[in-house]
Amino acid sequence: MATILTKKGEERTAFWVLALPAVLIYLFVMAFPTLVTIWLSLTNYTSGQLFSADTKMDLVWFKHYTRMFGDEYFWMALQNNFAIVAISVLGQIPLGFILAYVLYRKLVVFTGFWQTILYIPVIISTIVVGILWQTIFSPIAGPITAMMRQFIPGWENNLMNDPNLAMFPVLFVLLWMYTGTYLIIFLANLQRIDASIIEAARIDGANEFQVLRRIILPALSGVIVTSAILAISGSLKSFDLIFAMTSGGPAHRTSVLALYMYDNAFRGAPDYGLANAISTFMVVLSFALIAITQWVERKFGGKEE
Amino acid sequence: MKKHSLTILGLSLALVAAFTLASCQAGSASGGKVELSVLYYVDASAPGYANEVKSWDLVKEKTKGIADLKIEELFNEPFHQKTEAYAASGKMPDILYMWPSGRSGTLHSKKLVKDLTPLLGEEYLKAFAPGAIDPKAQAAGYLAELPNGVTATHVFYVNKPVLDKLGLTPATTYEELKAQAPKLKAAGLEVVLMANKDDWVMQSCLFSTVVGRIAGNEFIDAVVAGNAKFTDQPFVDSLKFIQTLYADGVLSKTSLQTGYGEVPGLFAAGKAAYYIDGDWRAGAFLTDPATKTALISPEDQKNILFTVFPTMPGEKSDAPGTSIVVGTGFGISSTVEAGSAKEKAAIEVIKALQSAEVQLIRLESGASFPSRTDVTSDKLEPLSVSRGAFYATTKGSYVLDGVLDPKVFTPLNIGLQEIGLGKTTPEALAAKVQKAFDDWKASM
Repeated sequence: MATILTKKGEERTAFWVLALPAVLIYLFVMAFPTLVTIWLSLTNYTSGQLFSADTKMDLVWFKHYTRMFGDEYFWMALQNNFAIVAISVLGQIPLGFILAYVLYRKLVVFTGFWQTILYIPVIISTIVVGILWQTIFSPIAGPITAMMRQFIPGWENNLMNDPNLAMFPVLFVLLWMYTGTYLIIFLANLQRIDASIIEAARIDGANEFQVLRRIILPALSGVIVTSAILAISGSLKSFDLIFAMTSGGPAHRTSVLALYMYDNAFRGAPDYGLANAISTFMVVLSFALIAITQWVERKFGGKEE
Repeated sequence: MKKHSLTILGLSLALVAAFTLASCQAGSASGGKVELSVLYYVDASAPGYANEVKSWDLVKEKTKGIADLKIEELFNEPFHQKTEAYAASGKMPDILYMWPSGRSGTLHSKKLVKDLTPLLGEEYLKAFAPGAIDPKAQAAGYLAELPNGVTATHVFYVNKPVLDKLGLTPATTYEELKAQAPKLKAAGLEVVLMANKDDWVMQSCLFSTVVGRIAGNEFIDAVVAGNAKFTDQPFVDSLKFIQTLYADGVLSKTSLQTGYGEVPGLFAAGKAAYYIDGDWRAGAFLTDPATKTALISPEDQKNILFTVFPTMPGEKSDAPGTSIVVGTGFGISSTVEAGSAKEKAAIEVIKALQSAEVQLIRLESGASFPSRTDVTSDKLEPLSVSRGAFYATTKGSYVLDGVLDPKVFTPLNIGLQEIGLGKTTPEALAAKVQKAFDDWKASM
């Protein structure tokens, strides 16, 4: 009896020794800043050291949230974030899956070559990608402009200046850049599926679509949800590529929540209360979208082996 | 096992303590020198960076034995972001590169830098042009930074060979400029180049001049005093003129996606007949001492006009041609203890940074026109000579981000882009700016 108790005690100690550093790091770098952000969003903090008696701040409760919801640029940024979520979930993931499926089923030759080509955008620095595409879309000296002017002399490249079209180049680059990530995730998981099951299905007369619908998609439903969560959280964090490509302009037409927050925190007239309110909103939105994704998976997803 | 773990834990703590002590000691004075942190604004990839290095070497030489400088170099948005982060945290660098207002608004409004007048002394300041050290020219209301020079934020650069090829002459009125637009466009050229991707450019490099010419400084004074409103006709007419520039094709919508770093190269390559920017951009065309190359060779610089925008419809007869503001310079953080060795060292560094020798380097490299009255050179390239003549003959109005609070000029900057996109009207933008002004006044 005493031996069992000692063993349990040792297990408990081992658990805490192993888990405590991770828990402490998580609390320090994730939970604590999040709580401070929420708190600051409810105050009129302007500057100064946070935990100093010299720094004056008062609670203003939801004043910053009211301003945020009343600002047209907030809604533009949110709309653009949803456009990025849409292109990620409905563009990058399906395209990544299709390309992975094509490579896995060897429906094209030189699969290794295509895999490398499709993955290359992922390994290039985001800032480099942003500057590269900014140059390509450049309205005066960019190659697209030069090419078009060969056919239509004097053609004006207003693709990124049309408020209704300005986001499309950004969405295209996001699709180009991140599809490779999902391709690799799906390819790795497709290779885990027992090939004999697919073979048996084909012998039983299943066609390619039935194999996909009845075997592969159910087996990958968990991976699809994980990918969707990655895509959603990544979409809400979108900053670097857009900052390098358009800086959110013109007139905030390509801005996203993270850039909107940055503009309010560091540009023009810094407003830390509002910037923290935007951050808090982003965290809440992220949780809400991930919860919806998990609900969809529980409701409609297949069972993973 | 337990004993072993405790030993590892003890060793780890000792290591942490050792590193902490070492880092604390790194920040202290050594060998009679005081360590000073400096936040500096510079584009390390720009031609002329070698001159910046030369300037700092000279400053280090002048202050050796007094100060040990730890310089942090940043450019454009990262610089401003870092400044705001330092300001928010309350942990400021000892010496800061800063603007007299505008993007350094936080440093001024929160009094995060010292008044340099008593620290430098009136005797020392006699070497500077009175306009450059006018405390009223800085948002803080005191000499928060000692400027490198005085800056004209609007210059109309004209590429004469481009016009010559098409049989045109530099436009002197807006009507002439408008009439040239179809011919220039048919030749595949831009009429006027501007880098309006950054929203401050239009306000600082053109709109302030437009307001100065159509409404005048007295109108802005009246608005600030509460005796006039941004919704009044002179300001609305100024906004309408910007709208007209886009409507007439003088300014292309493509300028809204043209980056600030892109434009000098395009202008030098003859992609446009005209180019609007600040006087500081002249430096981008001069010979880089490191490579001995120039975007526009000294010979070709003689064909570049350094002038102001043609006469605008509705402008006052005695209107100033450009907009002028005290230039950027260096300030000392208010966190530096008064009377301390650190403060004394910082003052010496500021003096070295604005010494005649360093200002001479800036003059010859086109970085800035001196704020000191005792700096001249006979080695100036043609564009710098034109620049000197420009200051002698051109009057300036306010630069709006120099007289308005960031809470007021930020919506104006974005609104000017909205006008370019055709998403707002001059009247609606004027009303928005007035509301921002009223809200700012109420929060004071």
